[in-house]
Amino acid sequence: MPAPSAELRRFLWRLPLSVVAAAAIWLAVRPVYEPALCRSAEIAARMVEFPKVAKILRDNGYALIGRTDLRADSGWLKLSLTQIHFNAVPFLALLFAFPGARTRDTFRRALVALAVLALSHLLALVANVKVFYATNLGSWSESQYSDTARALYGAVRYFFDIPVTFTLPLLLWVGVFRERVLALAGMAQGDTAPRPSGRRERRPASRA
Amino acid sequence: MVATPAGRFIVKYLAALLVGFVLLALKPVNDHLVNPYTTFVAHQARVALNLFGEGATVRDQVLSSPRFSVRIFNGCNGLEAILIFACGVLAFPASWRSRLLGVLAGLVAIQLVNVVRVVSLFYVGVFKPQWFAASHIFVWQSLIIVFAVVLWLLWAQRYALAGAQR
Repeated sequence: MPAPSAELRRFLWRLPLSVVAAAAIWLAVRPVYEPALCRSAEIAARMVEFPKVAKILRDNGYALIGRTDLRADSGWLKLSLTQIHFNAVPFLALLFAFPGARTRDTFRRALVALAVLALSHLLALVANVKVFYATNLGSWSESQYSDTARALYGAVRYFFDIPVTFTLPLLLWVGVFRERVLALAGMAQGDTAPRPSGRRERRPASRA
Repeated sequence: MVATPAGRFIVKYLAALLVGFVLLALKPVNDHLVNPYTTFVAHQARVALNLFGEGATVRDQVLSSPRFSVRIFNGCNGLEAILIFACGVLAFPASWRSRLLGVLAGLVAIQLVNVVRVVSLFYVGVFKPQWFAASHIFVWQSLIIVFAVVLWLLWAQRYALAGAQR
C-alpha cells in the first residue's frame, strides 16, 4: 500500500491551520457580509414579486423574513444566516490548504468561485422568502398557493438547505484547482488513470 | 472532457450526488431510512455519553440527560458527509472490491466522527449553551465536510491506487 503522495501530505499538514484561517476570515467578514446579504436578498425578492413587500431584517446572526403589508405581529420567519453561509469556511479551508504557487489563473477562478458561493447564499435567502409566503402564513398561504406549488417550494428549500450547502464548497474547490485536485487523488486529466482491471490506462499525448 | 477518466469521474460523481440527494428527499426514504438512521445515531451518542456517566436516554431523535437535551435533525446525522464520500468512491475508477471496502470503511469513520460531534455538542450545550449554535453549524458542519473530502483523498491515493497498481 503506497503512502500518500508528497503533495497530499502537504495538503493534510496545511489543512488544520487552513481551517483556523478560514474560520477567522469568516468571523471577520460576517458582520459586513450578513447585512449585505439580507439587503441584497430583499432587493432580489422584491424584483420577482408584486406588490413589492418582502422584508428581511438581520437579528444577531438570524434573518427575520416578513411582509410589509401584514401586521408586524402577524408572522415572521426566523432563519439562521450562519446555516446559509457557513459553507464559506470549508471552501476557504480547502482553498488555503492546497500546496503550491498561486497563479493568476487560480486566483481568478477562486474569485469566480467565491462569487458563485455568494450567489448561492443570496438565492437560498430569496428561496426562503418564497417558502415563507407559500408555507408559513397559514390560511393566506393556502389560499395563494396550490398544494403542488407548496410542495415545490418545500423541495426548493431542501435543495438549498442540504445539497447546495454541503456539496457546493467541494465542487467549487474542484473547479478552482481542476486537474490538481484530480491529480491529488491519483487521477491526472486524460493521462494515466487507475482502472478496475488493475492496469493503468495510457493515452497518446495528443489526446490528453 | 468526458472522454478522459477524470472527466468521466466528475460526470459520474455529479450524477451520483444528484441521485443520492433526490433519494434522501423522498418521503418513504426519509421515513424508512433517514429517520431510523438518525435515531440510530442518537443511540450511539447515548451509549458514548453513558460511558461518561451521563444517564442519557433517547426518545425518537431526542437525546436527553438530566443536564441537557438535543434533537438530532436531518443534516446533523452524518448522511450528507457519507453521501459526499460514498459518491466520490463509487464514481472513482477503481475495482468494485476497493469501492465497497471504501464505502464501508468511510461509513464507519464518518459515523465515529459524527458520534464525537454529537457528544461534544452535548457537552457544549451543558457547559457553554451560548456557544451551541455556533459550534453546531459553523464548527462541526465545516469539519464534517472537510473530513469527508480528506477521507476520499486518502482512500483514492492509498486503496484505489494500491489496488490498481497491484
